[in-house]
Amino acid sequence: MTVHNLYIFDRNGSCLFYNEWNRKKQAGISKEEEFKLMYGMLFSIRSFVSKMSPLDMKDGFLSFQTSKYRLHYYETPSGLRFVMNTDLSVPNGRDTLQSIYSNLYVEYIVKNPVCVLGHSLDSELFSSRLDSFIRGLPFYSPRAA
Amino acid sequence: MADESLFDFLHMEIVSHIYREQQSSKEEMDNKDRAVCVSVLESMGFRVGQGLIERLTRDSPSFKDELDVMKFVCKDFWTKVFKRQIDNLRTNHQGTYVLQDNTFSLLTQLSNGKQYLDQAPKYLAFSCGIVRGALSNLGLDSVVTAEVSVMPSCKFQVVVQKL
Repeated sequence: MTVHNLYIFDRNGSCLFYNEWNRKKQAGISKEEEFKLMYGMLFSIRSFVSKMSPLDMKDGFLSFQTSKYRLHYYETPSGLRFVMNTDLSVPNGRDTLQSIYSNLYVEYIVKNPVCVLGHSLDSELFSSRLDSFIRGLPFYSPRAA
Repeated sequence: MADESLFDFLHMEIVSHIYREQQSSKEEMDNKDRAVCVSVLESMGFRVGQGLIERLTRDSPSFKDELDVMKFVCKDFWTKVFKRQIDNLRTNHQGTYVLQDNTFSLLTQLSNGKQYLDQAPKYLAFSCGIVRGALSNLGLDSVVTAEVSVMPSCKFQVVVQKL
């Protein structure tokens, strides 16, 4: 039961924040390329999902899973994209991502006069609060499953 | 009571607007420019403080002495304006008072320690003006400065000017 990592992208595709907790295997490419790959994949999958949907779509793309991990996605109305990889025991990470947005991002980044929206998130207060939030989640444990 | 974020956002933008205006002609801000920005913010706060204190004391009886005034500022005034009370008031009984607020509401979102410490004075100037304006309308001329060493805790030093 664990959270592997978390990405935050803005609406232009730049990665504002990335942190990992329990990642055993790296992607083998530089971090910049990894962010571009992640963003590009999300962009394509969202338009794919909306095109191919057999019914009227409400929320769109929510998550995908493999045999080892599940990726959860949450997009805010302001275009901010939160992506979290967890193991398979977490069925729905959307609420977690939404509370990260409203309780952490809005509080410590939007309300921080020094943080310019659109630049990468430097605030240590935000990082430390996010870290303790993630570690406090019921489905997080320090040893990966 | 209106949403607190309204004032927070407005205050953030006021500060950055003043600094942008001052910087528009040159590339680097020197200390003189920074002092100008701080004094503009402080005088805005002065006028706001004067108005606020009229409104907040319209129903209270007049104050017995200086210390009573300072205690009012620390408790009722601070609660109405910054949503909490001052944690510690010290004085030398000769006109100097130090008001310590351990979680100053305008600094809590900035950082929890030393990050962004150099930016903190910008966001304290307006509040110093508010205190100075409030005291001036209560009959006390003063000089108010603020210092911060570990955010979000900060100390306001009030030196009352004797005529």
